[in-house]
This record gives sequence, C-alpha cells and structure tokens, in this order.
Amino acid sequence: MNVPQYDVAALRRALAEDPRTAELGVHVRIRGDQLFLSGDVACEQRRAAVAEVAAEHADGLVLHNEVHIVGAQPPTEQEDLR
Amino acid sequence: MIRVAAVGDVHLGVDTRGTLRPAYENIAEQADLLLLAGDLTRLGTVAEGEVVADEFAGLDVPVVAVLGNHDHQSDAEEKIAALLVDRGITVLEGSGTVVRINDVRVGIAGAKGFGGGFAGKCGHAFGEREMKAFIHHSEDIAEQLRTALLGLTADVRIALTHYSPSADTLRGEPPEIFPFLGSYLLAEAIDDSATDLAVHGHAHYGSEAGTTAGGVRVRNVAQPVIQAAYRVYTLEPSAAVPE
Repeated sequence: MNVPQYDVAALRRALAEDPRTAELGVHVRIRGDQLFLSGDVACEQRRAAVAEVAAEHADGLVLHNEVHIVGAQPPTEQEDLR
Repeated sequence: MIRVAAVGDVHLGVDTRGTLRPAYENIAEQADLLLLAGDLTRLGTVAEGEVVADEFAGLDVPVVAVLGNHDHQSDAEEKIAALLVDRGITVLEGSGTVVRINDVRVGIAGAKGFGGGFAGKCGHAFGEREMKAFIHHSEDIAEQLRTALLGLTADVRIALTHYSPSADTLRGEPPEIFPFLGSYLLAEAIDDSATDLAVHGHAHYGSEAGTTAGGVRVRNVAQPVIQAAYRVYTLEPSAAVPE
C-alpha cells in the first residue's frame, strides 16, 4: 500500500542516515503527486546531494528542491544582554 | 563590556573547506571571543575535523568549542577534539575554562549535552536498559556541566552546550521531537550556578532567544537559525556568585 506519510518518513530517514547527505534538518512534504524539500544546507553540493537521495525515493512524484544555502556572512549588529 | 561571538552547526566538510574562514578573519573588530556550539562537522571524521581546525585556528580572538552529535558520528570525537586542541582551540566536555578579557575573567563551562526532554514531558530512567542508558547519559552530562560551572572562578559565566537547555529556543521545531533536542537537566545545572548566558545549537528550526525556568538568558546560535557567520552578545560582569 502506498502511504505518503510512510514515504515521507522513509525519505527523512534516508536524508539523515545516508552518508551522502547526513542532513537531519531537511523537511519533506508530499502533497498530491508533488514532493517538496525545504531547509538549509551548507553549500550547493549538499543541496544537490539532497535532491539526488530524494530522487531515489520520488517514484512518480514531481520533486521540488526548495532547500536554501545557509547565510554565513558576519553580522552587522550585536545584541545587548547587559 | 564583553562581546561574545557564537555560532553552532556549521557542519564543515571537505566540500566546504575555506568557505567560512573569510567571515572570521576580522572577528576581533566585533567580538572578544568566539564560542562554537557543536556540530562542527557533518560526518564526524578526522578529515572534517581538520577542516574545522583550518577554518577556526589562529583567529585573533580565543575560540572555545563543544562537540555535537554529528561530531560523534564516526566515533572519532576524541581525535577531533585533540586535533582542535593542538591547533589552539579550547574544547570543553564537562569542563571549564577562563578567558581574561580586559581584566574581566570570562568563565565558560561546556558540554555536548543530550536529549531527554523538558520538565514534566521528559523521559525517565526506567524500563529497558537502552532507555535507562539514554537518560543516564543526559543526567551524567548535566552533572558534569553543573560541576564545571560551579568550579569557575570568573566575573562572567557562560554555559556552552550543543543540545538545548530550554524549550523556548525550540519554538519552530515539532514538539514531538523536543526530547531529542535537549534536556531541562542542563537548565537546572545552569540555574544553580549564577550563569549569565547559555548558548547552544542543534535545533535548526528553533528560535534564537529564550530563557531557562530560572531566568537565565538562552540563545540558540545554530547557523540555520541565525543565518550568519556568528552572533554577538554583549555582557557585563555581574556580582552574582554561585550559592
């Protein structure tokens, strides 16, 4: 039986446990025949790796890679905790 | 005034070598020290640890780190810690250090921390040995953090962990996974030791600001939360001393 909730869980486990990705912070949603990935990763190669692993679990689904590259510029302000 | 820079969850790997360093080259213009709140690597390999050392060693401010769960993935956490120490980075695990900045003693006690959950909604050391081991690991680390905090002779005290001491800074994460993101036992240790600030990472979908139940400021500096190379918090020495 094809149950989208189990497909989401299987893909999230794969993204966490597959050494190509090791990403615990990528969200997975299946809506109809659309598969959406979201979250932040460190670089473009990892964004592509997430899509590669997801594609192996996306049989019959249209994959949307909405994962972003995390911001890593120096801050322009500080928070005063005095 | 002390300016504390902090970031966690940089998840460096051989594929990101050299990408972070430029953002830290002039950090002394903005901060007096840099805290790294764990998950410095992606797969926890020694090769990734060397990238971490290359990115953060030799900065013009002291760097103090704890490791996170990713840094344990390849069972090389001790080797990673040793190579960071060799490159001048202080690595804390149930231990503390004091950095002197403009005659102010800034004490940092650090530990990875662990899960277990938050007061009233947490796991217990009961039943299967695996469950007891899970909770005992969290208890042991919290006790080490408490001892390290109380052992600091300092004008400012900071608790540095990877896992969260507070559910406040998990806002945005699914509540069902809170027990895997932190433990209130860390907050109890922090609240018992006149701590001025608690800094953690781990919760990529969480929120930056919160407090412990005892009113200590907590900041989640996971890079996906702060979306920057680091955050800077300014502190003033307090008169508080542990009871």
